[in-house]
Amino acid sequence: MVLVLAIGDLHIPHRAPDLPAKFKSMLVPGKIQHIICTGNLCIKEVHDYLKTVCPDLHITRGEYDEESRYPETKTLSIGQFKLGLCHGHQVIPWGDLDSLAMLQRQLDVDILVTGHTHQFTAYKHEGGVVINPGSATGAYSSITYDVNPSFVLMDIDGLRVVVYVYELIDGEVKVDKIDFKKTTAAAH
Amino acid sequence: MVKQRVPDWLNSSLWSPPPDDRHSRYSSSAVNSRHSPSDYVAVDECAMHPPVPQPPPAAIRPTEPPPKSEPKESRQDANGTSTSSSSNSNISEEEISRQAQLLVELSKKVVNMRDVRRLVSMGIPDGAAIRSTAWKLLLRYLPSDRGMWPSELAKKRSQYKHFKDDLLMNPSEITRRLYKSNIESIESCESRGLLSRSEVTHEEHPLSLGKSSIWNQFFQDTEIIEQIDRDVQRTHPDMPFFSGDMQFAKSNREALKNILVVFAKLNPGIRYVQGMNEILAPLFYVFRNDPDEENAAYAEADTFFCFVELLSGFRDNFCQQLDNSVVGIRSTITKLSQLLREHDEELWRHLEVTCKVNPQFYAFRWITLLLTQEFKFADSLHIWDALLSDPEGPQETLLRICCAMLILIRRRLLAGDFTSNLKLLQNYPATNISHLLYVANKLRMCPAGPP
Repeated sequence: MVLVLAIGDLHIPHRAPDLPAKFKSMLVPGKIQHIICTGNLCIKEVHDYLKTVCPDLHITRGEYDEESRYPETKTLSIGQFKLGLCHGHQVIPWGDLDSLAMLQRQLDVDILVTGHTHQFTAYKHEGGVVINPGSATGAYSSITYDVNPSFVLMDIDGLRVVVYVYELIDGEVKVDKIDFKKTTAAAH
Repeated sequence: MVKQRVPDWLNSSLWSPPPDDRHSRYSSSAVNSRHSPSDYVAVDECAMHPPVPQPPPAAIRPTEPPPKSEPKESRQDANGTSTSSSSNSNISEEEISRQAQLLVELSKKVVNMRDVRRLVSMGIPDGAAIRSTAWKLLLRYLPSDRGMWPSELAKKRSQYKHFKDDLLMNPSEITRRLYKSNIESIESCESRGLLSRSEVTHEEHPLSLGKSSIWNQFFQDTEIIEQIDRDVQRTHPDMPFFSGDMQFAKSNREALKNILVVFAKLNPGIRYVQGMNEILAPLFYVFRNDPDEENAAYAEADTFFCFVELLSGFRDNFCQQLDNSVVGIRSTITKLSQLLREHDEELWRHLEVTCKVNPQFYAFRWITLLLTQEFKFADSLHIWDALLSDPEGPQETLLRICCAMLILIRRRLLAGDFTSNLKLLQNYPATNISHLLYVANKLRMCPAGPP
């Protein structure tokens, strides 16, 4: 039972001052084992804050990140699943399922987490699953101003993943979940 | 003021005996009547076929155990020698006769508890592996009616299994069982597109802060589980049974941890306190080393119930709020102090008044951990034999044994000052356990008055 937080596109301080209070109250240290962050934090203080929530932090570079040394893509293995991480501004058209599927095949991962569109989506295609956690602060994107703050928590348990989607809609936290599994164990 | 003289029998030179002088031990402990050894000498030879399964004499390998409808004892015999760690070759006649008597007692249809108690209080020989069954009887896990054993055992073992299933599941599994949701397989090639979402009801998500959320409870319990885990890893680091990387050691530690976690969850009032793992360890060791395979396999369940029973008498020692109350640990220590004063005023005065050795410094560990930390593991099993079998109850017996421990080293204590006495008491020197138990026994019978 591994809890993985997928979060990104906070754009602090340029487009948003901070995470919504309701989100912050839920993100207490000690519960989450890994954080994967799509990028665009943008400053070091946010990095430090995320480190306090969980010391195992993986970040990829977004176009506005002030820390230039984050990688463009990252892959990691958690339980039986391989996860891939990329900010997503490199993949054009932005948010297009086919192009993301190409990236997924390139990285050879089961679950690809990307951001940049500031919209939560969860797609499935032949190669696997693509998840976009959206923007945790509700910062405006290049595409739209109408952004609900959202992030994703994945519960990886053996061959099964339960994805909990946390969205802030009209000031209230709404939680949905998505269930999926894979049938073959990962070959290490 | 009349100074209470130490009774003569306490002052005799018997109390600094040579450590391994078995014969003097046996000749002086002829307190209880027992059958004449001649009835049982024949047991030494394999030729005798009494209506009781043969105990394994030291050097002789027992042949096929008599095929009776007799209980586990018969199977115990064949493997009995392999489990005893003490020097087999020194088993004396007395021990064999006691062993035989115990086996007779335990194989009766309805076990006579008084007789069992009397026999066990003299110590269970390690040879025939009777300890496991004897302790289960003494801790009232097994009823005296032998016929009811299988049903009782089955009932209790399945109860423990239910406890484990209910309490040790992690929230992922619980939510999986409670909420049937449509799970999509990500490798299926047909559909492509949005994954379907379903709403989460009742705040059942991992970050929930609600009091009734199973996730929240799980995270709150994690702290206790971590503490239990830490203590279990440190239990008896010198024993390969508990520590090390072998598979069986790991599974033993896992069993200890499960028992303690289930106990903590079922008893929210007392949860887990450091030290409970030490009380649990001998129980699990004995039950796990039961030569009867079925018993050994279910050792975890059996240990759980026996642990609960044992702890029920000593719970108050672990409850911090009760420390200063009438039932708490402080008052127990005071009782010990009083007992010492009754039996050996000179020593009491020297310790408490002259040296100012507060009994809490040494007696706390003796009492709360039931003397498991003061002696070698095998010796503490013998002490527990006496503790569990005494009709007065473990609490009273424990105090008498502690008092006897003090009296036995009185010469060294009287000669020492605060530092040396404290050091001595916190690292109690190795003693002959039978002597210790004998003295403790005497303290009960001897009225505290000048002879």
